[in-house]
Amino acid sequence: MLDMLRALFETVEAFPSSVAIRESLNGYPILLTSHVIGMCVFAGLVMMMDFRLAGVGNRSTSITDVQSRLFPWQMVGLVISAISGLLLVYGQPMRFFPNFYFWTKNLLILLAGINIWYFHTKTYQTVEEWNTDPTPPFAARLAGIVSIVLWASIVMVGRMIAYPGLVPQWWLDLGLEG
Amino acid sequence: MEETGFSLLPFFVWMQESSFSQFMLDTTWSQPIVQLMHLVALSVFAGSVLIVDLRLLGVGVVNTPLAKVADEATPWMVWALVALLITGTPSLMSLAMKQYFSPFFWWKMQLLVLGLIFTFTIRRRLTQTDESKLGPVWPKVAGMFSISLWCGVAIGARLIGLFS
Repeated sequence: MLDMLRALFETVEAFPSSVAIRESLNGYPILLTSHVIGMCVFAGLVMMMDFRLAGVGNRSTSITDVQSRLFPWQMVGLVISAISGLLLVYGQPMRFFPNFYFWTKNLLILLAGINIWYFHTKTYQTVEEWNTDPTPPFAARLAGIVSIVLWASIVMVGRMIAYPGLVPQWWLDLGLEG
Repeated sequence: MEETGFSLLPFFVWMQESSFSQFMLDTTWSQPIVQLMHLVALSVFAGSVLIVDLRLLGVGVVNTPLAKVADEATPWMVWALVALLITGTPSLMSLAMKQYFSPFFWWKMQLLVLGLIFTFTIRRRLTQTDESKLGPVWPKVAGMFSISLWCGVAIGARLIGLFS
């Protein structure tokens, strides 16, 4: 499993298009800057929605309004950060493969996705009953708080990718750098 | 900078040589930790600015009165700004010489000052004026101007770290 993953990352690293990104003079600064702008739009507007769910912000706007009216703009941010993020990895796969924070970030994004899925299939089904309540019911507040914690962690873990040495010793002992 | 009579260089040298900067440079986790908190504060700041700017542009949460959207976003924006200043200062001090000689640092600071003045004067005034008196053009101009300014600040900030 791990060997297959490594083989995949190594194969991508050898692609001419990957080499081109890696060796481009302005590629890295442009991608990294786009990733920050995308993060501002996506994480920023997701947290505005989460504050509403948690009952701590935007309380005059209905939940469905905050959700549906911000959604297209959240997607703009998501597309910018996802494309720039994928290209950053695509250009330097073997820099990311042994990185503890890169994998932690992916795991946290997966957890955030599960939180969104659970919220929309369960809690959000009854939204009409509490749509305009300044303080939503506990389940909705919890979903908001979990989302805030997860996205703030994703932002922080993402920044930590630049510190590949500041990781638990057991991770270094795995010898992924090899 | 040196050509002008007034120079901030001594101040930056003082920051760089302070014992606080030395502490920042000597402890392994201090720099990453302030950077992490700076980025989380940035996300909150960006969200609280953008929700109002989108509303000014006539998109986003349009069913809520502009003044309400702004009133509710402002405390988050102000506290995020405070957090940005608190977490930005240690980074500035411990890397003072790098910042001083980075054109992107001055780019960022000039746009930042402009952004703060604009946000707390014209933009604040606009969001508190009766919407029917604003007309269709000025809110959009203000929203676009705000988004452009803050993007400029973020871009400048990101580039300080990449080119030194």
